[in-house]
Amino acid sequence: MPGNPPLDQVLGIEDLHVTVHDGAAAALRGISLAVYSGEIVGLVGESGSGKTLTCRAALGELPPGVRADRGKVTFAGEDVTSLSRRGWERLHGSHIGAVFQDPASYLNPNLTVGSQVTEVLRVKRGLSRKQAHAKAVELLTAVGLYQAGRVFHQIPAELSGGMLQRVMIAIAISCDPELLIADEATTALDVTIQAEIIELIKDLRDQRGLAVLFVSHDLAVIRELCDRVVVFYAGEIVEAGPVEEIIERPRHPYTQALLRVASVGDFQRRELEVIPGQPPHVGARITGCRFAERCPAATAACTAGDIALTRLGAAHEARCVRVNDPALAAASAAVTAQAAAAADPELARR
Amino acid sequence: MTAEVTAVTQAPPLLEVADVDVVLGRGWRANHVLSGVNLKVWPGEIVGLVGETGSGKTTLARTVVGLARARGGRVLFGGREISRLRGTARRRERRAGHIQLVFQDPLRSLDPDLTVGDIVGEGLKIRGGLSAADLQARVASALDRVGLPAAIQHRQPGQISGGQRQRVSIARALATEPKLLLCDEPVSALDASNRNYILRLLAQLRDSLRLPIVIISHDLSSLAGIADRVVVLYRGRIVEDGPVAEVFTRPRHPYTALLMASAPSVKHDRELSVHQLRRTTADPASPSAAGACVFAARCPFAVAACAVQPQLEPVTDDTASRRSAACHRHQEWPALARQRQAVAARR
Repeated sequence: MPGNPPLDQVLGIEDLHVTVHDGAAAALRGISLAVYSGEIVGLVGESGSGKTLTCRAALGELPPGVRADRGKVTFAGEDVTSLSRRGWERLHGSHIGAVFQDPASYLNPNLTVGSQVTEVLRVKRGLSRKQAHAKAVELLTAVGLYQAGRVFHQIPAELSGGMLQRVMIAIAISCDPELLIADEATTALDVTIQAEIIELIKDLRDQRGLAVLFVSHDLAVIRELCDRVVVFYAGEIVEAGPVEEIIERPRHPYTQALLRVASVGDFQRRELEVIPGQPPHVGARITGCRFAERCPAATAACTAGDIALTRLGAAHEARCVRVNDPALAAASAAVTAQAAAAADPELARR
Repeated sequence: MTAEVTAVTQAPPLLEVADVDVVLGRGWRANHVLSGVNLKVWPGEIVGLVGETGSGKTTLARTVVGLARARGGRVLFGGREISRLRGTARRRERRAGHIQLVFQDPLRSLDPDLTVGDIVGEGLKIRGGLSAADLQARVASALDRVGLPAAIQHRQPGQISGGQRQRVSIARALATEPKLLLCDEPVSALDASNRNYILRLLAQLRDSLRLPIVIISHDLSSLAGIADRVVVLYRGRIVEDGPVAEVFTRPRHPYTALLMASAPSVKHDRELSVHQLRRTTADPASPSAAGACVFAARCPFAVAACAVQPQLEPVTDDTASRRSAACHRHQEWPALARQRQAVAARR
């Protein structure tokens, strides 16, 4: 939320190291991020960059063979890193809601939508059958489902993907959680529905002060929805900051590359750019910058040793040795100029 | 550009879908998936087929390759009707592999037990008439066309990345040297960089082989980069058809405009916002009669005249290009939309 300073930290991740294959390969290396109430934080990066793993660590749901070796996860100031199964169960639903890419696979196809929404309310909140019904219809209406009373009695197969995603969001927010984790929640939806879900999440943020951790591989979606963005590359944070600043003045070459390939949405014929090469394999031993191999601006200094995040502004940081290099800044300006030239001239002046 | 288009349009179309109706299910379950769809594809052009889930994009592609049966209308390929072929004639047509469809989800449409080489060569093997060495060479050349190393043919679909898998699907389609390629959501499962790679690859294939390609997508901005023409489907009807640059600068159907306004963008400079194109409770009730315009229920500009489904008719404006739209109010709605509120009324 630009302007007013964020108040309560809902989710905190500090220097999180996660390994896969029983410790054989490092998948996350020193992730630190925070989500405050009333704020939407976006995680962006290519497939395999560690976005989903970060979400799962925040949900206490690391898959078998995957361990958090170092670091801390806090929820509302409380350390939950080594919380028991029972402890996490108390947090899920009541304090943390989650929505994933494929809503159909998270709902029971044989049960009505209503029974799946009321189940959470009855188990977590101890509501009576009647109260739970009333609350469920209210929630289904709140997420923008038309004729919620009817939807209540329908089974998942009778609803479209967008409607199912709304049902998932209704379940996720049913017990008034402080945090919503949405992992590629709009990726499988039509653009018109995606735009509606984005608005719904913004409304929930505004009305309930919900903190949202939103994962997407699409910088354009992040731009539409998020207040802050964290860019992941090969298990590391390479850049983080307010979304406007990252979009207008990306400082890390990887963010600049992501921005060049993103849907600019200007509907003009243009050269479609790609990021050459492939991201390194999970656990690849690389000294220095993990993006150096694909980076157009890489120098010998990039692979000399570990690179720390450089603070660039109040909330803006980037992990690049050349971040203050004037030549690189020129490349960043080129991205911005290109975007501005395509934009409405009036907007560019403003 | 215009001269080029006219030159192309004077030649006979390679594919002609004329007045096709597709009904899935029967009796009370009957579902009109496509109604009176007309589509022409000329050699060497990329046609983008856009619409939301359930609009009939995939069914249209399946009808063209003969996986769905048209109840009414005809499908002509190279001037020959292929929708009524049965028995041996149909089998011969299919095995020739003139029309190839690239399926939506490469992970689910590729057999996980076969190697990439088997998958790419399967169509050729079924057609027969090639020696093992020739087959091998054709597989390698198809893989090369999509930028994959020949060594990948010993891998299985589960062992390669999503972007590579989609390229394998395209290589499989190219192996039979098709005259027309249909791609069903070729990029929806990919991240931005891989998406652009695949789209560029398709554009190259069009340029190097003069291969006409129909790309089904719900992502308009990626089509803007490569398509020559876009066709917008809504609930089984074509609502707009025209050259991509013109459709995207001045959409003539409110649904096209809504799709454009909904597309996420890194810039905030849309001409019309989604709120100017969505119905609100304040709008007067739209006609809901059986024969009403398919979009009327979602259209903020619907009037009494919209109780009759408009036909897809040429839209004549300042340009000489061929554009058509199925909207009674294609002249009036853009001005009306601009007068509407650009931000949402707070609940």
